[in-house]
Amino acid sequence: MTTSSRNRLGSILLLAGRIVLAAIFIVAAIEKMKPQPGMPWTLHSINLSLLMFSWVVDSYNMLPSSTVTLFSQILPPFELFLGIWLLSGIALRLSSLVSTLLMCMFVTALVSAVERNLGINCGCFGQGAQVAVKTELIRVSGLFLPLAVAVTIGAFLLHRKPPAVDAAAANSALPAGSEHA
Amino acid sequence: MTCQNSDLRRKLAQRTNGLRAKTALAIFAGILAFAVGASPQTAPKVAKVAAKVSPTEPPAGAPVKSYGSKSAPITLEVFTDYQCPSCRNFYEQTLRTLINDYVASGKVYLVHHDYPLSAHSHSGEAARWANSAARVGEFDKVEAALYDNQPAWEESGDLQKYIAASMSAADFKRVQAQMRGCEGPGPVAGASGAVSYPPNGKPCPIDAYITPDILLGTKVPVNATPTFVITYKGKRLAPGSGGVSWPILKQFFDSLLTQ
Repeated sequence: MTTSSRNRLGSILLLAGRIVLAAIFIVAAIEKMKPQPGMPWTLHSINLSLLMFSWVVDSYNMLPSSTVTLFSQILPPFELFLGIWLLSGIALRLSSLVSTLLMCMFVTALVSAVERNLGINCGCFGQGAQVAVKTELIRVSGLFLPLAVAVTIGAFLLHRKPPAVDAAAANSALPAGSEHA
Repeated sequence: MTCQNSDLRRKLAQRTNGLRAKTALAIFAGILAFAVGASPQTAPKVAKVAAKVSPTEPPAGAPVKSYGSKSAPITLEVFTDYQCPSCRNFYEQTLRTLINDYVASGKVYLVHHDYPLSAHSHSGEAARWANSAARVGEFDKVEAALYDNQPAWEESGDLQKYIAASMSAADFKRVQAQMRGCEGPGPVAGASGAVSYPPNGKPCPIDAYITPDILLGTKVPVNATPTFVITYKGKRLAPGSGGVSWPILKQFFDSLLTQ
């Protein structure tokens, strides 16, 4: 495989990974922000949904009550912004790095929930709530985080400066005397 | 590089960027449409479920397991298991304050539903005691006694001791009378939401007030305890589960009430 075809394949894979990662963030954001059934898309109904999301954040017992609401109202819009940012491809290295850090934060929260046995005695049919947390941990750490890492690595690799030999080869292809123009 | 080549490259780059921007927009629109999920399609389905699981009026003579006024703008239905530690935390740290504050001031109508889990050996029996007490107007005392002393009776299995200590001897006799014929483990929520009995358990009259709660919880659906459902102005919101602290829940109620 030549260098150019390898780069092309890498670009395609990076594009696909970027789109999937962006979709994950956008869908997650909208799921948290969309109004309750029967309610219209208004700022108030979105705020209500975000306040309901604060119940989930609160249940992790990782943040003081005073910051739970603020965090719950910032995170989903930020996820939406991050998804759009990834799709646009602008400053891809930075956007993919931010997405990786965000995924790391989610994994940390989920691991903490599992270690503290949040809800373990109150799972229906055995271990319901704890199973849900563990399933989510597997999903995020096994699928989403590796994807974010792969996109980040791909973004950095494909934006490397070309090696010096390529520049020399390009100069040698120019007509005689043009390099001094 | 000649001028012609650089012009061509510039035009090509512009066209490519334009194409990329349009593609990104199209993909975003597609993801947005998927995520929003054509809301008119999903809302009626949820609304149908909501209509089936709206708070049911208990049959005549049924135990009163609610707090506050039915005319309150917000109804909070809670599905709990008396042997569940998270339910205990939720009751101690959130519901108690809610009852003394927002229920007392007529903002919230709190309804308790039993959802004893099969994983807890005494939860069915605890639900029976609570319903027996509710039939004679002593629900609040028994609920408090069960949650306050949960670690103790969970280990010993002696629920009667703590229930008896929470009320007068005469009142306890009235509660005991409701429990006649209800020895052994009580009903629990089994697999697929069916009502089942542990080994050595058998139905008794008071179970008639527990099994409807379990079946109602299955429709919510209750996947973990505590699970709570809020209804405001006839609109049933998505259920929440796990313990929510009072400041967070209060903020939510305040936001609802200012709508």
